[in-house]
Amino acid sequence: MRGFEPVPAWAAAATCAALAPASAFAIDYLSAEQAAKLMFPQADRFESREVVLDAQALQRLDAGRMRARSARWPVRVALRGSDVLGYVVVDEVIGKFELITYAVGLTTGGAVQQVEVLSYRESHGHEIRLAAWRRQFVGKTAAAPLRVGDDIANISGATLSCTHVTDGVRRIVAVIDWARQHGGLS
Amino acid sequence: MPHPGLIRAALAATLAGNAATVLAQTPTEAELARRLEQLAAEVAALKAQLATLQQQRAGAAPAAAAPSAPPPGAPPAATPAVGTDAARAQPSTTLSGYAEINYNRPTRQTQNTQADLRRLVLGVQHRFDDKTKMVSEIELEHAVTSADDAGEVALEQAYIERQLNPTWAVRGGLFLMPLGLLNENHEPTAYYGVERNFVETAIIPSTWREGGVQVVGAFNNGITTQFGISTGFDLTKWDATSSEGQESPLGAVHQELAQSKARDIALFGAVNWRGIPGLLLGGGAFSGGATHGQAPSARVTLWDLHARWTPGRWDLSALYTRGTISNTATLNAPLVGNPTLIPRSFDGAYVQAAYKVWQQADYTLSPFVRWEQFNTAKSFADLGPGITPDALPNERVLTAGANFQLTPGVVVKADVQRFKQNKDNNRVNLGLGWAF
Repeated sequence: MRGFEPVPAWAAAATCAALAPASAFAIDYLSAEQAAKLMFPQADRFESREVVLDAQALQRLDAGRMRARSARWPVRVALRGSDVLGYVVVDEVIGKFELITYAVGLTTGGAVQQVEVLSYRESHGHEIRLAAWRRQFVGKTAAAPLRVGDDIANISGATLSCTHVTDGVRRIVAVIDWARQHGGLS
Repeated sequence: MPHPGLIRAALAATLAGNAATVLAQTPTEAELARRLEQLAAEVAALKAQLATLQQQRAGAAPAAAAPSAPPPGAPPAATPAVGTDAARAQPSTTLSGYAEINYNRPTRQTQNTQADLRRLVLGVQHRFDDKTKMVSEIELEHAVTSADDAGEVALEQAYIERQLNPTWAVRGGLFLMPLGLLNENHEPTAYYGVERNFVETAIIPSTWREGGVQVVGAFNNGITTQFGISTGFDLTKWDATSSEGQESPLGAVHQELAQSKARDIALFGAVNWRGIPGLLLGGGAFSGGATHGQAPSARVTLWDLHARWTPGRWDLSALYTRGTISNTATLNAPLVGNPTLIPRSFDGAYVQAAYKVWQQADYTLSPFVRWEQFNTAKSFADLGPGITPDALPNERVLTAGANFQLTPGVVVKADVQRFKQNKDNNRVNLGLGWAF
């Protein structure tokens, strides 16, 4: 099974470009770089990797109702010297009508360390960027339900944004969990 | 746009051409190395061109980039990576919509049983640039609109929003007023029960919209504020011969920016706090003149306090709202003798509890119960003995039922409603709703 592929230089460059903040949008709170540094302030560098899910992994995500959406997942690995501190994944989901860009920081054990909202463009529901709401994800692993109305409380008036970001975090946690099990991130 | 197949053919032709050149001229080793480098550069350029084309195709048909797993062994590189590709694919104009089809069967007066396509709303949002967008919703009520039918076509929203900075935005046009829990979140998938609650229909006249300008501020401490100036109500069109004013005093005199009388400008504001996940505490207020220089001056004031708490599978909410109209003694004097005079005050409150008892995949079942009390004519100004109308008794309604979510965005609803005062209104309701 192919869990992780070393990527050539041109692909790594493309990955870095994909990790850059989305071109100007309504409210850009943070860039991907700022979010990564915020999540892992002790890191001395971030290296780009790409998790490539195989067919079986994609099917497993779909079976878990996580709608895999993509086989290729750019990941930033936070490093201090040769020590891996954790991972950062930047993703986008549709809120109600528009895209929400967010970043998930994970520990080397695959638990959520931090969630940051990078850009929010809807007229309503800005409250998902509140620290109190995002803190609910901290420590959650692939074993957690990670569902609104279960272990994640909703925000009244921002139900769709909450649901879709929560679904996105659950998907990222599953992708990183799969990559860790298949030795793709060490 | 060249087809990827053409690119591949060009690549093959380039390779063949270069190979032929190499064989014909028996060049030196250095020359061979130079040509190989040139070839590698050409291949890299073609690869980049091919990748661009694939991204463009994925952008043109985002659905194709989504879920389905490739067959085992298929190269996963064909699927675009997550990230900004999706952002580039985001169109600047998006469509949305919602609808509700309701069946109401009064249990004591079954001859009044009715099925109705209550409303179908189509929305268009357009983003002019990164900070400016337009939001609009067109509503068709009761399926058919003609001279002989009850249908109605109306604009529910039509406004421009400009984001000034991460905290503040300004909105101008026709927008929903920020009072209560339902008015700004009125899609059938967003509330429990087939019908909208009575308090936020009879007292807060949902879907209530006005034309004006408002400022929206969203702060890091969980507080969201909205305030501004807008058009208001028109008491000069109060029809004392109709029961409409008794069903919803403000619903009978709203203007909805349809050639609205606008001499009197209203002020409004709302504050909501969501600092603790799952908890919402807030309130809103509106006050504005409503006679527009055509009758004795009168002011309509409406305010509400609301709370919603969604711990785990629970969804609990409560709301109180009260409205007053000033100078009604003077306004009512020429209307004495008619059945429906203008009330001095009206109010309502409800508490509601829902619990998600079952969930499998996208299916969720959430039974709920709601108790509400409302009075559309809580008091009348004194017109003198024998003339002053009696205040109406408080109506109390108990609603029990369930929302069954088929998939996010589609809901089937059923409930039973029991009225304390007007028992003839007791009914069972079925509904189908969707929103996207």
